[in-house]
Amino acid sequence: MSEDVIIRPKTRWMLPAKTADISKNRLYREIAKRPGFQVCLLLLGILVVAAIFAPYISPYDPEAISVKDKNQGISSAHLFGTDFLGRDLFSLTLWGARTSLLIASISVAIALIFGSAVGCVAGYYGGVVDEVLSRFVDLLLAFPGIIFALALLAFMGAGILNLIIAITLSQWAIYARLMRGQVISIKNLEYVQSAYTAGLPDSRIMTRHLFPNAVMPVLILSTIDIGHVILSVAGLSFLGLGIPPGIPEWGSMIGAGKEFLRTAPLNVIVPGLAITFVVLIFNYLGEGLRDILDVHKDQVNIE
Amino acid sequence: MTLLSVKDLNVCFPTGEGIVHASRDVSFSMESGEVLGLVGETGSGKSVIGQAIIRLLPTNANITGTIAFNGQELTTLKDDAMHALRGRVISLVPQNPSGSLDPLVRNGMQIGEIFIERGMTKNTAWDKACDLLVAVGLIPSDRIAKEYPHELSGGMRQRLTTSIAIAEKSCLIIADEPTKGLDYHARETTARVLSDIKTRDNVSLLLITHDLYLAEHLCDWIAVLYAGEIVEIGPAGQIFNTPRHPYTQALIRAMPKNGLVPLDGQSPSLMAIPKGCCFADRCSCHSEICSKEHPDLIQESLNGGVRCHHPSCN
Amino acid sequence: MSPPVLQLTGLSKSYGHGDIFSGISFEVGSGKTVGLFGQSGSGKTTLGRCIMRIENPSSGQIMMQGMDLARIRRGKLRDLRPSFQMIFQHPEVSLNPRMTLGESVAEPLMVHKRIGMDDALREIGPLIRRVGLRDEHLARYPHQLSGGEVQRAVLSRIFSLKPKLVVADEPTSMLDVSVQAQVLRLMQDLQKETGVSYVFISHDPDVMSVMCDDVLWINHGKGVMYDRSAFIDRVKTRYILDVPA
Repeated sequence: MSEDVIIRPKTRWMLPAKTADISKNRLYREIAKRPGFQVCLLLLGILVVAAIFAPYISPYDPEAISVKDKNQGISSAHLFGTDFLGRDLFSLTLWGARTSLLIASISVAIALIFGSAVGCVAGYYGGVVDEVLSRFVDLLLAFPGIIFALALLAFMGAGILNLIIAITLSQWAIYARLMRGQVISIKNLEYVQSAYTAGLPDSRIMTRHLFPNAVMPVLILSTIDIGHVILSVAGLSFLGLGIPPGIPEWGSMIGAGKEFLRTAPLNVIVPGLAITFVVLIFNYLGEGLRDILDVHKDQVNIE
Repeated sequence: MTLLSVKDLNVCFPTGEGIVHASRDVSFSMESGEVLGLVGETGSGKSVIGQAIIRLLPTNANITGTIAFNGQELTTLKDDAMHALRGRVISLVPQNPSGSLDPLVRNGMQIGEIFIERGMTKNTAWDKACDLLVAVGLIPSDRIAKEYPHELSGGMRQRLTTSIAIAEKSCLIIADEPTKGLDYHARETTARVLSDIKTRDNVSLLLITHDLYLAEHLCDWIAVLYAGEIVEIGPAGQIFNTPRHPYTQALIRAMPKNGLVPLDGQSPSLMAIPKGCCFADRCSCHSEICSKEHPDLIQESLNGGVRCHHPSCN
Repeated sequence: MSPPVLQLTGLSKSYGHGDIFSGISFEVGSGKTVGLFGQSGSGKTTLGRCIMRIENPSSGQIMMQGMDLARIRRGKLRDLRPSFQMIFQHPEVSLNPRMTLGESVAEPLMVHKRIGMDDALREIGPLIRRVGLRDEHLARYPHQLSGGEVQRAVLSRIFSLKPKLVVADEPTSMLDVSVQAQVLRLMQDLQKETGVSYVFISHDPDVMSVMCDDVLWINHGKGVMYDRSAFIDRVKTRYILDVPA
């Protein structure tokens, strides 16, 4: 098979990776080379487990108000201390993780699926279909994400379901654009043309030939996007517009606790660090994934 | 005087999936003004030899053996000494010219850069670059010099990279697959350019190619490579008219003009070199000794040789 | 005398700034091979793609099985698809990298006959063996196969639909000499066995002389037809590098 030669001295020679070779062996080897990525995966695992099992592992009921214990520091009884109403901050953090991850993963998943479908159709058909869909996507992208979600929430009212809807609607457009670009770049490759000349129906060409080969960058984006959405939800909740009161959420914890910043800083520091930590994990994961799946680095032909 | 002498060159690469033996016990020599062809198919390891000579292999390559150029040993030369030789005394015309040309630099400056680095003024460098463009048949040279690489066809880009290689009047030019991906017309022009360079400048040319027509037309000597080793070496006329190794014979018979006779099977993976002769499982003359014992390269005539237990059996 | 499988009349294609080709007319008889020869950029690949209706010609007729391919509706075109197929130049992107060989090869038959994969594989089993592939190849992914193996798999995929015409766009120009011989011989044998017609696109005169009965030489957008011996003579006068005997 012919391979392109790129003579790059001072790089490690690797077997030429042909197209998107993400065979298991290679994937494991790439991950094994990156201890930082492994740590991230581990932390993500812990986070997800903690979020799922929050009801069982949180030491206290997060809503349990105990005014006499308010604003206590870190102790053996309260791992992260207590907030201004005496609620255990560790339990609140665990439940907050549950809320954030739930909202973020659902909205990103729906935005990803819907956005990719629109992008795929626009990229494949081209012409009028593409023009109409792309202009609509451009319109949506013109609104800054969080403002758009804000406007929708103001219109629909608060509530978890409305929050998920608002975020999904403000996020899907970027996936559509990215997917469209990917589809356009591969639709003229020979195997797609072969599917077309073999008389396969458009739906099959899009689902089996275009989508699986175009989806990788979109998946990587979605990983980083989860981090962004968590941040946005926290921001909205901080402003009092996101999560309804009564449901633990890191942003609203900061919002409620901000007046105690000087007297009892744990109110703000604990949820703040939680947000930072989680967003960093997702960012690092996304970058690492992109690195691993970048098959064209370091290639040399030996033929 | 022997210009280049390669002895027992072995190149291997450790990879995550095993050790790749790209080159095994390769030995040959070149005189001044000679054209030697390293002919082989995909998986023969021919490109590695060229890269090893000019020392452009990746850092994890394991190289043993000697490469003597004008008496000087290249494998142990310090990096800056090698850098002084590269491009000046030994040049490379790389495979895939499109990848070797900076898309943001005008064609004239692709060549001119070299002269400016040597201290010439921009105008002199530009004039010299235009002369070189004429030498490779890229005319009108002043128009082409002002254009960018993407405005040239594949064949013209190949000639441009060739002109870069001859800018410094090197003694040895290594041409790595100069006709890959070119149509018949461009291939012919490239062959003519290389032929002109050889006669005009008395340059030695190491031609690495799988294009048998080109090799037949240009080369004085040909070394046929299979699975990382030389299986036959000799004067070009002898290789094409009376090939002795079964692989060479099969290769020549497979050319459309010689009957398009297919050769079944595939060359062995460079990670799993078989015991015995590498070509045994595809050879029609295969006998017991072929699977057991690895044949040596036996000199049968002055500098000619064949690596086979049953040479000329067909 | 059976009617020609393909008949082009006055076919032209132009982009905004000029003609790629114009006034192309020729026919391909049943079981015959017509070559499209020319340098890079001569328009031969675009012509092949117009015949396959991957691209749309600007004017002219493409008659096949009594219908004008340039004018029929998409639905009717899809029904006709099994009759005319294409094999491409670059083996490394000719098969879906995410599907195994077995899945790729069985897919067209599965879709057209509405059968499951096992039935499809059973039906094309003899064809797969005919092209020289074995069961262990079916489980592999394209990146694990050599160029020659990929092109042979593509041939089995195409021939599973029993086409009357195959457009071959430089199918062996990226392959080594010995592999090229395998693939071209296979194509010739399949032609003898099935009576398929080929439109063979190439820039290599030696391959053209061996494979084609007639050759359309495309130069500056215009085509001139030569039979095999006339083509060989003409090539001899134009090229200095070794020419076919």
